[in-house]
Amino acid sequence: MKVLKIEEIVRGILDGDRRAVSRGISVIENDYDSTVARRIIKEIFPSTGRAHIVGITGPPGIGKSTMIGNLSAMLSKKGFRVSVVAVDASSPFSGGSLLGNRIRMQESLSKYGVYMRSLANRGMNGGLSRSVWDAVKILDASGSDYIIVETVGAGQADLDIVNLAETVIVVLGPGLGDEIQAIKAGIMEIGHVFVINKMDRQGAFIAMKDIEETLAMSPSGEWKPPVVGVNSLTGEGYETFIEKIQEHGNFVKNHSGSILRKFRTELQMTIIQELRRKFESDISLFLGDNAVIERLIREKVDPYSAAEKLVKKIT
Amino acid sequence: MFKDKPIKILLAKPGIDGHDRGILVLAKAFRDAGMEVIYVGLLPTPEEVVDTAINEDVDVVALSLLNGAHMTVFKKVADLMKEKGVKDIAVVGGGTIPDADKPKLEKLGISGNYGPGTPIAEIIKHITERAAEIRKLKATGE
Repeated sequence: MKVLKIEEIVRGILDGDRRAVSRGISVIENDYDSTVARRIIKEIFPSTGRAHIVGITGPPGIGKSTMIGNLSAMLSKKGFRVSVVAVDASSPFSGGSLLGNRIRMQESLSKYGVYMRSLANRGMNGGLSRSVWDAVKILDASGSDYIIVETVGAGQADLDIVNLAETVIVVLGPGLGDEIQAIKAGIMEIGHVFVINKMDRQGAFIAMKDIEETLAMSPSGEWKPPVVGVNSLTGEGYETFIEKIQEHGNFVKNHSGSILRKFRTELQMTIIQELRRKFESDISLFLGDNAVIERLIREKVDPYSAAEKLVKKIT
Repeated sequence: MFKDKPIKILLAKPGIDGHDRGILVLAKAFRDAGMEVIYVGLLPTPEEVVDTAINEDVDVVALSLLNGAHMTVFKKVADLMKEKGVKDIAVVGGGTIPDADKPKLEKLGISGNYGPGTPIAEIIKHITERAAEIRKLKATGE
């Protein structure tokens, strides 16, 4: 068998073929700006928009990967096709990464044939958001009913997940104490379903009550985010958890606002990226010219004036 | 710092072998060498290893065993890859492998087969070379 060609990748993705899906994601991950990558996305795009995209975020070590293992197993048992994309951090020093999310879900992956792909965030700039967004499109076009996206951990990346996922799950647990206080501000606003994991541990009910109180005090729209307690070792609480995910999925379907917002955000991202692409070479040419830079320093030109002048020149 | 296309490598100890100190040391060394490393954990079946390699679209699968089952288990991995028509993923081996078995593994397409005491730099060099071959294969489509 020959190595896959573009047409085969596109056809394979639409047929749900794993090798084609895998290779398609690699093309996007490695050359997301290339014409090949764009062609794949352009051709599969009409077949997207069917899957329910669920984002999972929360502090490191809270049990996100284990939870995804359980969720994907249960959803598969109900007859849904589930795909998982997990993002892990790249080392800012070597650029390498250890993609370890898989270990905690391996059992459900093999048993139920769940497709799972690990992506390194590769320094978080540019590539991250684009390759995750497009990986999700490929999985959507390949016939997934649910696509579960795991983020690096609580932090900046969470803002992206709101725009990528229809339903954002925030996972928290007992014993976070002050940490919950610290992350509350950002994270309480992005969750559609809050889950307290490790309900068997001491302090779990206090954590649940704490989250409920905070939510009650924050202004919310039509959707009131529920708080669900689960135990990932026994599976306790998962039925309710899945119901809430599905309820939110239906809510989103009936409220075009979030669909508009999602598309608008992605379009905005793409336009900015396209603009950057167009002017990238001009900008690096300008920045690479030592004589120009030295002159700017000598003449004490402030960065704003210098930038305004350059932009005027190249547009 | 971020090389455009880091090598993606899957580390696995297929079969009944719980001695993972060596493979964990390698996992970290490969990460520090700028690779994207996936470790599937202990006791995966050869089927799981091959499925994971395909789903993650890795460049290299690195197998390790210490218990002497390499001629059975490594071969199973190589056979499954062949069966599935996967030619664009390199397979390398390591562990306690007698010299007599090395040519046999090579014949199956499993290269390297390094034993204890091998300098990590040598292993990284070999993997980088195999990955480069594979990347070339993927690019030309032949």
